[in-house]
Amino acid sequence: MPAEGSTTRVPVEERLFSLVLALLATDAGLTKNEILSTVQGYSQKYSHSGDNSNLERQFERDKDDIRELGVPLETIDSPGQAGNNQNLRYRIPRGAYELPADISFSPEETALLNLAAMVWREGSISEQSRRAIIKLRSLGVSTTEPVLSYAPRVRVRDAAFEPLSAALEKRQVVRFSYLKPGEAEPTVRTLAPLALVQHQGRWHLYADDAGTPKTFLLRRIVGPVTTLAKTFPAPPPDTKDRALLELEDVWNRHTAIVEVEPGTDAATRLRRRRGSSVAASGALELHYSDTNIFADELAGYGPEALVVSPPHLREAVRARLERTAADHG
Amino acid sequence: MAERAKPRQAQDKLAFLLSLVPYLMDHDRVSVSTAAAHFGVPEEQIREAVRLIGVSGIPGDTATYQHGDLFDIAWDDFEDNDEIVITNLVAIDDSPRFSAREAAALIAGLQYLSALPEQADREAIATLTAKLSRGASADPSQVAVEGSEADETLALARESVAKGVQLSFDYLNSQGQAERRRVDPLRVESVDADWYLRGWDHGREAVRTFRLDRASNPEITSDPITHSVSDVSLPDKLFEGSVDDLLVVIDVAPGAAILLADYIPDNADTVEVDGRLRTTVRVSHYHGLKRLIASMPGVATVVEPAEARAVVAEWAAAGAARYAQ
Repeated sequence: MPAEGSTTRVPVEERLFSLVLALLATDAGLTKNEILSTVQGYSQKYSHSGDNSNLERQFERDKDDIRELGVPLETIDSPGQAGNNQNLRYRIPRGAYELPADISFSPEETALLNLAAMVWREGSISEQSRRAIIKLRSLGVSTTEPVLSYAPRVRVRDAAFEPLSAALEKRQVVRFSYLKPGEAEPTVRTLAPLALVQHQGRWHLYADDAGTPKTFLLRRIVGPVTTLAKTFPAPPPDTKDRALLELEDVWNRHTAIVEVEPGTDAATRLRRRRGSSVAASGALELHYSDTNIFADELAGYGPEALVVSPPHLREAVRARLERTAADHG
Repeated sequence: MAERAKPRQAQDKLAFLLSLVPYLMDHDRVSVSTAAAHFGVPEEQIREAVRLIGVSGIPGDTATYQHGDLFDIAWDDFEDNDEIVITNLVAIDDSPRFSAREAAALIAGLQYLSALPEQADREAIATLTAKLSRGASADPSQVAVEGSEADETLALARESVAKGVQLSFDYLNSQGQAERRRVDPLRVESVDADWYLRGWDHGREAVRTFRLDRASNPEITSDPITHSVSDVSLPDKLFEGSVDDLLVVIDVAPGAAILLADYIPDNADTVEVDGRLRTTVRVSHYHGLKRLIASMPGVATVVEPAEARAVVAEWAAAGAARYAQ
């Protein structure tokens, strides 16, 4: 039992749990002082006469941790004391905390969501999908069968993914060096990150560059991503779909004609590439997003694939093969 | 790093506590083992959480956590029978919402799966996405993954796994030779836009991983599989090393090393040489290596053995020669 004057250390999760319970149970809200002096985990360390600045900092961090879990911790002014920071009151409004009562998931839907969560195996996005599944299980729906016959996964290996997804969430401006192909030196970009989308197996950042939306390949970001204090307004909810549509549009507009040697790996795999078709000449007509990336891919096929057009792709593949031959000569 | 890990653990535990309480409320009496199985956690984690819930509550009117302000459980049932019965409830009535990022992770995962044969019902995915959005405490984060393409080979692979029957198809190995393969399909796997089938290869008498875009003319048979997932060991890692693998020393630009991560053995020595990383990759033969290295021009170079360098040089030179004609 919690007792006053107890000297036993209260585990972090017990303090956070007690804070959530206390703030859920109050309609009028609690002041910071009320929280620190009464809530389990803080009250043990609270000094009635002295300095509580350490404890206050602890409370600030705890608030962030709780909000990160999707718990809507809000502040309201005390009646008649608007603007007085010391008398701000904290609470968790029940309606914004609880899953709406009309939302339920069938066993089939739950199984599908379990599979969707499995897609993420790395980084904070896998922790978030794991937590989402714990919350889903809270509803008590049991699934028909464990999904063992599928192992889908999407990778998030680009080092820039974590800092960008955190900045995206907090709507903070970011700065990084970006190396455009063909340029000798990277240039520094300062941008508002709007969406992170994976297209054709590669992660892209869709960002606002001084009023113009632009797309950046994460693998071309050089060095660390710096997050600035400056924030920006939330983009419309369909921003990520727009980012994917723009990438799809670029992909559709780029067409290459490639001759492949029959029966080879190039013939089999390029033929199976999304959107590929056989042109009148018998060569393959293929779509691609980025000349440099597609040239790398085609160079891997060595003599099995010959680019007919466009000329800049043809030249890019030729130069790559010569480079590799020279590097290994 | 250890300091970063700590709050995350506490956050995970908090999420678990906030999820466990509503589940226990809906079950008047539930055994620790049932709850553990439902949440997919060790039984001890359930017991620990229940012990904590049993002494938690709100400060209450007196601000001193009086008995009625605390959760209570039937301690005898818990201690003696490993059963959980909540006898007094505080503050929590229902399951918590998803956070914006939690909802986004599931939505993006669903979107990625949308091309799977049995998920062809886009309506169901749209409905689920809408529920997740409405069940989140803020608009889901702007993270999305392009849905993969529905594909006949993928559909048949999946169907054969589900039915437990053998599948046969033409398969090109990386030497470029086509062969008819017959497999007991065990699991359909993917990495980003690439799909694989893992199965017991009747010709090789071993578990093999097949890239589905290298397989053609698939045919589903009526012969039941002879090996199931429980008979063979299917490692979690998609790309497994073998004792017959060849080791090759390469130099790679630091930014590109991640592209080779699947090929670098865990115990590989990596040193910096002239701004590049010198490390070891393992390949089953040089024919696979030449394709890999040629697709990373100027970024990765084979150092040794000389034979491997020669195979790569020859491959690239043959490719370049086609443009000279």
